[in-house]
Amino acid sequence: MAKSVALEIGEEGLREALNGLLKKLLAMGVVDALLVPLKVPAGNSVVQALVTQVDMLKDAYPLAPVMPVNSARIISSMTRLSSSEKKIGVVIRPCELRALVELVKLKQASTQNMLLIGIDCFGTMSVNEYDKFAQEHIPSTAGFLKLIGENSIVREACQVCEYFSPLTADITIGLIGMDLSKEILILANTAEGEEVLQALGMEGEADSGVSSRRDEAISQLSAEREKKRDEFFERTNAQVYGLEKLLTTLSLCIGCHNCRDVCPMCYCKECFIDSPTFEWGADKYLEWATKKGALRMPTDTLLFHLTRLQHMVTSCVGCGMCQEACPNDLPVFGLFRMVGSKVQKVFDYVPGRSVEDELPLVIYKERELEWLTNY
Amino acid sequence: MSDKTGAVLVIGAGIGGIKASLDLAEVGFKVYLIDRAPAMGGTLAQLDKWFPDNHCGMCKVLPIFSRDDSSQFCLRRGFIHQNVETLPLTQVVGLEGEAGNFRVTLSSVPAGVDQDLCIGCGLCAQVCPVEVPDEFNEGLVNRKAIYLPRPTIPSNSYTIDWKNCTRCGACVEKCPLHAIDLGSETKTTTLEVGAIVLSSGFEEFDPHVAGQYGYGRYPNVVTSIDLERIISPCGPFEGQLARPSDKAIPTSIAFLQCVGSREVKRNYCSAACCMYALKEATLIKESNPQVEIEIFFMDMRTFGKGYYRYYERARDELGVKFTRCRVPVVKQDFQTKNLILTVMDESRNMVERQFDMVVLSVGQTPAAEFSSLCQTLGVRQNQWGFCSPSVSVRKNVSVTENGFSVAETSREGIYVCGSAAAPKDIADTMIEADAAACLVSKLLSQERQQPIEAVSQTETPEMADEEPRLAIFLCTCGGELTTGLDISAIAESCRELPDVVLVEEIPYLCQRDTLEKVKESIRESNANRAVLGVCAPFVYRRLSQQLAEDTGLPSFFVRTVNLREEIAWVHENNREAATEKGKRMVRMAAESLRWQSASPLSSIAPQGSTLVIGGGLAGMVSALALAEQGFEVHLVERSAELGGNLREIFFTLQGGDPQKLLQELTEQVTSNSLIHIHKETNVAGISGCAGDFVANLVSVSKGVPPESPSTGEIIPLNPPLEKGDKGEFDDEDSVNSEGNIGITEGENSGNGEKGVSVTKSVSVTEMVSIPIGAVIVATGGEGSKPAEYLYGERQDVVTQTELEERITSGDVDVSKLKSVVMIQCVGSRNKERHYCSRICCSQALTNALMLKERNPGIEVVILYRDMMSYGFEEEYYTKARDNGVTFVRYELDRKPEVKVEGDRLEIEVEELVLGGRLTIQPDLLVLSVAIVPHQQPELSQMLELPIDEDGFFQEAEPKFRPVDFVKDGIFVCGLAHSPRNIEETIAQARAAALRATLILSKTQLQSGRMVSEVRERWCVGCEICVGVCPFGARVKDENKGIVVVREALCQGCGACVTACPSGAARLRGFSDKQVFSMLDAVAFP
Repeated sequence: MAKSVALEIGEEGLREALNGLLKKLLAMGVVDALLVPLKVPAGNSVVQALVTQVDMLKDAYPLAPVMPVNSARIISSMTRLSSSEKKIGVVIRPCELRALVELVKLKQASTQNMLLIGIDCFGTMSVNEYDKFAQEHIPSTAGFLKLIGENSIVREACQVCEYFSPLTADITIGLIGMDLSKEILILANTAEGEEVLQALGMEGEADSGVSSRRDEAISQLSAEREKKRDEFFERTNAQVYGLEKLLTTLSLCIGCHNCRDVCPMCYCKECFIDSPTFEWGADKYLEWATKKGALRMPTDTLLFHLTRLQHMVTSCVGCGMCQEACPNDLPVFGLFRMVGSKVQKVFDYVPGRSVEDELPLVIYKERELEWLTNY
Repeated sequence: MSDKTGAVLVIGAGIGGIKASLDLAEVGFKVYLIDRAPAMGGTLAQLDKWFPDNHCGMCKVLPIFSRDDSSQFCLRRGFIHQNVETLPLTQVVGLEGEAGNFRVTLSSVPAGVDQDLCIGCGLCAQVCPVEVPDEFNEGLVNRKAIYLPRPTIPSNSYTIDWKNCTRCGACVEKCPLHAIDLGSETKTTTLEVGAIVLSSGFEEFDPHVAGQYGYGRYPNVVTSIDLERIISPCGPFEGQLARPSDKAIPTSIAFLQCVGSREVKRNYCSAACCMYALKEATLIKESNPQVEIEIFFMDMRTFGKGYYRYYERARDELGVKFTRCRVPVVKQDFQTKNLILTVMDESRNMVERQFDMVVLSVGQTPAAEFSSLCQTLGVRQNQWGFCSPSVSVRKNVSVTENGFSVAETSREGIYVCGSAAAPKDIADTMIEADAAACLVSKLLSQERQQPIEAVSQTETPEMADEEPRLAIFLCTCGGELTTGLDISAIAESCRELPDVVLVEEIPYLCQRDTLEKVKESIRESNANRAVLGVCAPFVYRRLSQQLAEDTGLPSFFVRTVNLREEIAWVHENNREAATEKGKRMVRMAAESLRWQSASPLSSIAPQGSTLVIGGGLAGMVSALALAEQGFEVHLVERSAELGGNLREIFFTLQGGDPQKLLQELTEQVTSNSLIHIHKETNVAGISGCAGDFVANLVSVSKGVPPESPSTGEIIPLNPPLEKGDKGEFDDEDSVNSEGNIGITEGENSGNGEKGVSVTKSVSVTEMVSIPIGAVIVATGGEGSKPAEYLYGERQDVVTQTELEERITSGDVDVSKLKSVVMIQCVGSRNKERHYCSRICCSQALTNALMLKERNPGIEVVILYRDMMSYGFEEEYYTKARDNGVTFVRYELDRKPEVKVEGDRLEIEVEELVLGGRLTIQPDLLVLSVAIVPHQQPELSQMLELPIDEDGFFQEAEPKFRPVDFVKDGIFVCGLAHSPRNIEETIAQARAAALRATLILSKTQLQSGRMVSEVRERWCVGCEICVGVCPFGARVKDENKGIVVVREALCQGCGACVTACPSGAARLRGFSDKQVFSMLDAVAFP
């Protein structure tokens, strides 16, 4: 059972209380650096930043409801070749953490020497929306939560997300079900997490009532989200099911491949679709055009999406970054999340659940999927 | 070179003969494979699907030779190996000479149809007026007097059935190629061979002889092989289950076991029938779950690896019913043609039961001609006519076989395998085939040649760089094909294709003179790639390879399209559609060739020595088998003594002397200079791949425990266990907590001499690295220690092995014993272990007979569930009953109760035949305990070897590759594989040695052309491909951060290509561009 400690929120508010913790981590040398959302010097934007100086943390917004890039991508780029020599603390959202776990399994990232600080996630806004929000409000979690209650300002992906609390973090910042003006829960889920809490002088077990309040809130929210998710799948299905509808849906694709570039699970060095396999001479294009009468240009938009779907869908964590990147608002998130959910269910696989779960593709079973193969 | 002949005659082209031939050919011998039948395959060809996965899988027998060509072959259709000459319709009529230099006289009946000319068009059969029952389909349908002996195979040539042919000559006139000669005569030839393998198989028992079952009189009484044909998709009913009388799907089927087996005349068990009945019942239940199936049996003999689980599935999951009762008579209701069986019901009353169909599980008997064959060969038969090795023991031939003859006949140089030796199933036949081949290889080891590689010598690699110039030849089959296919239209469409320099229509592309013209056209047109539109026989006769060789085209620049079987014949009523398909198929082949790149062959030189892990019986026999062929062996034994379990076996059913075997074997192994024995040694690590491993051995001797090695480089591990060490290493925690490992030799052994406890400490002292070509895993197993029946609590409760030890040491005086009870299946075939330990029934019979012999007045009671006295062991079961041994059956849910009454043991068991409870107060209770494997987690991890559900090593394929692993270069034998007796262990050890010889005997191990490769630029090192590769052919290069391919291991399956998201994994000869272009060609003509 995880060790949980209550963190009282004083006058200064939630952000300051959390930043206080982060500062301690860095100042005490528990970590050598922190990857944390930081407000940029000019403007209101918040982006992930690798922080080594304690005073820079004054601009940290660990809970800012925005996710410009899935952090798993950032950590992969830092640790793909070799794991970090120094200790890095990472403030990470559940979907980022799940993507990171998948990348670790795929040997594309290493969490060695990392302290993973997962946060309960209330959802994030698109970068533009957040910018507007931050201009109009003092960017506080309380204010943000108030707005969520009023209308759907978080991204669609977040509205149907049922994994809003971190699955595999060393330390979890427990927010759900808490009175954020009074206290939050800090949970240590691993031995390392416990050591860190100890080092920070966070002793004593939180009142069991507080923990169970969070657990209840989580299960209640889960149920709500699952319902929303299923409704969303129904809508998406109605929109894309069948070749006709799929072609119609994808007909707006301009082949920019942004969705791939931001996807944490698209980890290839060079995408297959950009490889010489797809470099043809004019004669080949003409051959196709001759056969069909007219050839849509650029070619292979459907093939691109289907290939990407086939390559990453068992690991799709539903972060929705693809949707954010699409210039034409194709419903790529819905399509990928829905197909992913179905495929993952077939293999009883939850991406990011555990580094111990083997990727469905690499397990060989003599007898499996018998309902499908009629074996 | 000695003066022996490096050629082998294999008699009988069933699966055993095929296996022995292919492996001998690969080792480097010339093989003549003869069969009196017109086609190869034997009984197996009539069966479609089998245990354990209920699929075919005959191709799994194929060794990995000239893979690019052979992988296209199906053993149902035949195989082509350059070292094997197959001679159908041929029998041995004379034999002279001696081992190493035989002179065999063969008599061949002509097929009547020139096999080179015949195109298999079937016009001859159409005009033949004679109709006779088709033996391939067990007479369920008819065939003509000129026929395809294996009708499912289009590539086969026709054969004349001389017995029924009326010589009317209609076929001679009709044959477009004048291939038929009714005047051809029996031909006699002589061959020089060094050794002979007798693999002539069995004949199914003819149930006409057993009139009580009504076979031949009642249409719905069929044999098990009839049933195989009935449910076969290529059988007379096209795979629909139907009973012969009215072709209706039967609602109920009864299987009667032991028809022609376990009776007075044939007092042996046919060993295979229980399993094939289970398989047939399973197949029917899977496709027709509503059919009621009931199997009437005496004992369900599911003794082999995985058999009991298969039985449990049929019974518990599929609902097959089992009734223990020998059905005395079958009657027929003449109106419904249903069958009436008199059987015993649950309350032991005789009642009549009706079934729609009855299947007789017929046993195995020697073929009618077998006796005369044995006489010609000069080999002895046993009382039932089998050429059993047990009657073959010769003096001073090979001492290790003393009393334990395996695959040997009474004549040196002639070896026997499969059902020619004893009734047997496929799995055991395959092991014995290789054991026989191993003895051949040993006898002729001086004559081994390097196998011929199927590489065209004239191949010019620079051709690959030239611009493609395609020649397309389309066969019209003398106009025959043009009725179903517009060949001219296809030719016309080909002329428009890019890079095509020549398109020709040819009347008979397969004929020698036309093939010559084609070669000339290729030269004249300066074409460098060719598409051939042909038929299946063309492909199977390797004519395209021949054309490639003669014209100097690399074989990968020649493509065939099967215009006949795959196009004209399957769309015979739709010429237009067939033509359209023909166009697309030819275009696809052309497109594939245009983008084809040259693929070089790569090879490695294998290391010459073998690592044998485990110095028990299996390890010693395989080490010796290799050393006697001239290969160096490193034999690693964890304990201080060789011998393993053999050291504790004192008696056998057939009266052999296991201790003498142990002594002789140990002497031979120890004195052989090619065998390096590493006692008290563990394998600390093995790296590399087939042909090129490096093994690290660490010696274990007195000192500190392995948990604190003296240097940092040494990898401690759980050493492989051998009998005598009793498994203390299993529990690592206890080792740690005590800080020292106390090994108590002989603990619980009950043996006076070894009972002295010797405690010693173990440490890792030194490590040696040895390059090796192959690994044989013979890590063994042991009897389990029961936790029931008061074992360990009382001196008078012992295991069978302990009984033998105590009698031998004099601790137990048999003459003073009045009553002994034995309990079978202690720890086997239960919820914990879903397998039969195979050897315990014969061990119980051995010891019961031994007790009765030493003290005829003794009462011996054997409490059993199913007596597994398979094969010729049945005789001893009968003998035991005759000698007064009492057999009392019990059920798993009503096990015997063992108590103490006063000072005496008391055993109570329910008597199932007469009812009531039986109480016995024996002097001794003997438990037949389960055989369990020595757990080898480190070894299995180190070598990436799978372990099955019961902890034994999992072989590549239970039937066809019983000693191989999927990962090449590593083989398994003995108890590490599954429980088996001494002879079976020797056979398997030799089979493993022979499989290793396939690697060791080659100077170069060649990979196929179509192997996978890594495009470094795209590889991200995610290792998905490593996980999906079943052959261990992909490994991560940690320095480069990418994956690399071990080409010699790659089988070109393409799993990696499918799995790799980056497009970095690619199969040579299947480039993306090529495949996309082919798709374009087929999709948009």
